[in-house]
Amino acid sequence: MLGPNGAGKTTLLKLIGGLLLPTGGEIVVNGYDTLRHNNAARKSVGFVMNEERSFFWRLSGLQNLEFFAVLDNLSAADVRRRSEELIRLVGLEEHADMPVSTYSSGMKQRLALARGLISEPEVLILDEPTRTLDPVACEDLINLIIERLHKDSHKSLLIATHRLEEVTKLCDKVLVINNGHVQAFDRISDLLRQGVTLSDYYRRNVTANGE
Amino acid sequence: MILLLRKAAAFIRRDFQVESGYKANFLIGILNSMVILVFFYFLNKLLSEGGAPDLGRYGGNYLSFVVIGLSFARYFQLTLTMFSDSIRQAQQTGCLEAMMSSQTDSLTIVLMSSLYGLISGAVQLLLILIAGAVIMKVNFSHMDVVATLLVFGFSTLSFVAFGVLSAAAILWLKRGDPFTWILGGMGTMLGGAYFPIQVLPNWLQKVSFLIPITYSLDALRLTMLKGYSVQMVARPLLTLGLMTAVLLPISLAIFAAMVRKGRKEGTLMQY
Repeated sequence: MLGPNGAGKTTLLKLIGGLLLPTGGEIVVNGYDTLRHNNAARKSVGFVMNEERSFFWRLSGLQNLEFFAVLDNLSAADVRRRSEELIRLVGLEEHADMPVSTYSSGMKQRLALARGLISEPEVLILDEPTRTLDPVACEDLINLIIERLHKDSHKSLLIATHRLEEVTKLCDKVLVINNGHVQAFDRISDLLRQGVTLSDYYRRNVTANGE
Repeated sequence: MILLLRKAAAFIRRDFQVESGYKANFLIGILNSMVILVFFYFLNKLLSEGGAPDLGRYGGNYLSFVVIGLSFARYFQLTLTMFSDSIRQAQQTGCLEAMMSSQTDSLTIVLMSSLYGLISGAVQLLLILIAGAVIMKVNFSHMDVVATLLVFGFSTLSFVAFGVLSAAAILWLKRGDPFTWILGGMGTMLGGAYFPIQVLPNWLQKVSFLIPITYSLDALRLTMLKGYSVQMVARPLLTLGLMTAVLLPISLAIFAAMVRKGRKEGTLMQY
């Protein structure tokens, strides 16, 4: 999902993730209406926020995951197992017992990714996951998403981003949103076949609407 | 120098503008200062104008009276503010949204977030009472433990009801929650935490009977200092139970409505 600042990307993601309630229309996630089957819809979605502060900084990464695993209704036996499994998945095992306050931005974003996966959701929502990352951390995270989530577990990923290279690497389809409205929605393979670069495609759909 | 003064004035103006934007908070801040003045007025009246006979109902000792009043009023105030404080803290740390995106409902998150504070507050309360007994020689030897625990439990529940209302008010008003002011600041004075409510003017005494802390402190003093049994404090117990039974479902419904409103308007994380 591409769009300028204030286009409504995060709002739409929060609506899909059940953090916000729609004032009209309907949202169906994995076959569940978010209003009528809120719990089932929520269970289908993992939300990866770009908010670094969304962790308890004095707790370790592992303790944070364990806490959120309890909130996600994991059984007592699964809480520890799943948290350790996810810490390994995102490559934080060496830092698992260190307070989150000592983590770099890249490490926090990996931890956020792990948190989003706790309940093994079918759909993973990522809100600008690389926004605060340096180029190396950014590439590592993208590779992690491609290798461990996209290829291995075949999850559906919905990503809001400003980085066009991420879209090329990660996505099958691209949606451009502006002023709360969808401007375009296409398969990337179709665009490439037509010889349209993502940059031109984005510019055309955004500037055509007064940007 | 003039530049510095202008900057100082600009900061003062900015903060005044911010605070006056939260109208309820601004007003309550002013009213709170006035409440403290009134409190000292009545305390002085009790001690200097022969108000001590009003303590006869609780054994006549002001120290015993005020130790119970101070410690329990402090705890009930904590109960009152714990829920809204936990929401505010979660908003400020950015954790509220992360918790809300989990499979746990918002009410559970708020109630659970307050548990530690309530437990540590109860431990502090116990320590104050022990200090009162050991250092200040407050006599708790006549205490009816069962009646005291019952009154304490019912009181805490009624304050939880108001605490949830307070949390709902924080979600709505963001700052300046009126319940904390009415039952916290005002309640401490009107409920008889530091002086018997008999020293209040008649019309204020009538107001004091509308708030739970009045019944709580009266019953606690009677069970702890004079050994009143459950039967003997049945009336305040019943009143507290009735207040809880009516208020708790209402406050939970209002809180749920405020969360729903925040999720529709996208204001849940705003503070």
